Amino acid sequence: MKDSCSSISKHLEKYFDQEVTDKERLLVEGHLQDCLACQDALKSMEELRTLIKVPVEEAAQKEDFPWVWQKIEREIRLKEKQTWWQFLRSWLDLSPLFKKKVWIPAAATIMVLLFITTQIYFKKIPSYSGASVVEYVESETNNVMVYDLEKARVTVIWLFEEPEEEVSPS
Amino acid sequence: MDHEETEMISRCQQGDQEALKEIFDKYHKKVYRIAYGVVRHREEALDIVQEVFIKLFHSIKNFKGKSHFYTYLYRMVMNTAIDHARKTGKQFISSLDEEGSFEPSDELEKGPERILLQKELEEKVKWAMEKLPAEQRAALIFRDVEGLSYQEMAEAMGCSIGTVMSRLHYGRKRIQELLKDYVELPSQSRGTPNVLKRGEPPKL
Repeated sequence: MKDSCSSISKHLEKYFDQEVTDKERLLVEGHLQDCLACQDALKSMEELRTLIKVPVEEAAQKEDFPWVWQKIEREIRLKEKQTWWQFLRSWLDLSPLFKKKVWIPAAATIMVLLFITTQIYFKKIPSYSGASVVEYVESETNNVMVYDLEKARVTVIWLFEEPEEEVSPS
Repeated sequence: MDHEETEMISRCQQGDQEALKEIFDKYHKKVYRIAYGVVRHREEALDIVQEVFIKLFHSIKNFKGKSHFYTYLYRMVMNTAIDHARKTGKQFISSLDEEGSFEPSDELEKGPERILLQKELEEKVKWAMEKLPAEQRAALIFRDVEGLSYQEMAEAMGCSIGTVMSRLHYGRKRIQELLKDYVELPSQSRGTPNVLKRGEPPKL
C-alpha cells in the first residue's frame, strides 16, 4: 500500500457501501486508478459480500412459506380463542349502553315498576299480626267459647248451657 | 411509506388478519433472509419468521409511523434472531469444531470435486459468520444481503450510524481474518477466483 492508502482506507468501506459524498467519491476513484492494493481490498469486500449473500438467498428460495403462514394463522387463532367466561362476559357487556346514557330512562322505568309491584304485593297479602283466636270447647254439661282478642289483651268467655231436648209432640 | 402500505398497516392495527397476510406476503422473504443470516439454521429461521409475524400482529398498535415500517419490522426480526442465536449458542455449528479445523463430512466426500469445494466454502463462510457477535452478523446481513443504507440500519438496529459503521468494519475484518488461510480472497492473490486450500486449517 502507498502512503496515501491510509488516508483513503477510511473512505474505502464507505465507498464500497455507496455512502460517500461526491467529494469523497472523486478522491477514492482518483486513488483507485493507480493503487492495486486498494483495488484488491475493494474486490475482497465484493467477494465477501457474494459469499455472504448467495447462500442466504438460495436458502430463502428453497422454503415453503405458505405453510409458515398457515402456522402463524393457527397460532393467532389459538391465542384469540375465548374462555367460556370471556364469551359470557362479551355477551353481558353493557358498557356500550352506559356510554350512550340510554340507561337513565331504563333505570327510571325499572324503579317505577319495582315500586308499583311492591305496593300491589303487600296490599294483597293480609296481615295476621293482630288476629283474634276463637276456641270452642264442648262438654256433657256446658259448651264454652273463648274469644281471645290479641291486640286488646282481653279474653271473652261464653258459657252455654246444654240445650233442653225438644219434646216431640206425641 | 406508500399509501397502500399505510392503509395495510392501519387495518392490521385494527386486528385485521387479512392485512397481516398482505404484510407477510410482502416481507416474509426479507424476514427469513435476515433471520437465516443471523442464526444460519433453516428450522430456526422459520421459527423466527413465525414468531416475528405473531409478535407483529400483537404489537403493531405501537407503531406510530415515525420511522419506516420495514425498519420497525427489521428491528423486531433482528432482536428475535439475536435472542434465538444467544439461546441456542453454538449448537448449529456444523462440521467445524471449536478449534476451527475443518473436517469434511462423508456426504461432501462423495460429490464431484467442484461441488465439494463449493459446499466446503459455504460451510466455511457459515462457520466464520457464526464466530461473529450477533450484532456484527446482523449488520452484515442488513448491508450485504438486504442492501440497507447506514441510516436505515441505524433505525433498524436502534443505534448510531457510527456504531453501524463500526459493526460492519469489525465484522468484515474478522471474517476476512477467519477466511484468509482457507479462501484466497483477491487481497491475497489478485485477479484469481476463490480457491479452497483443502486440508489446511485456518490460522485463528
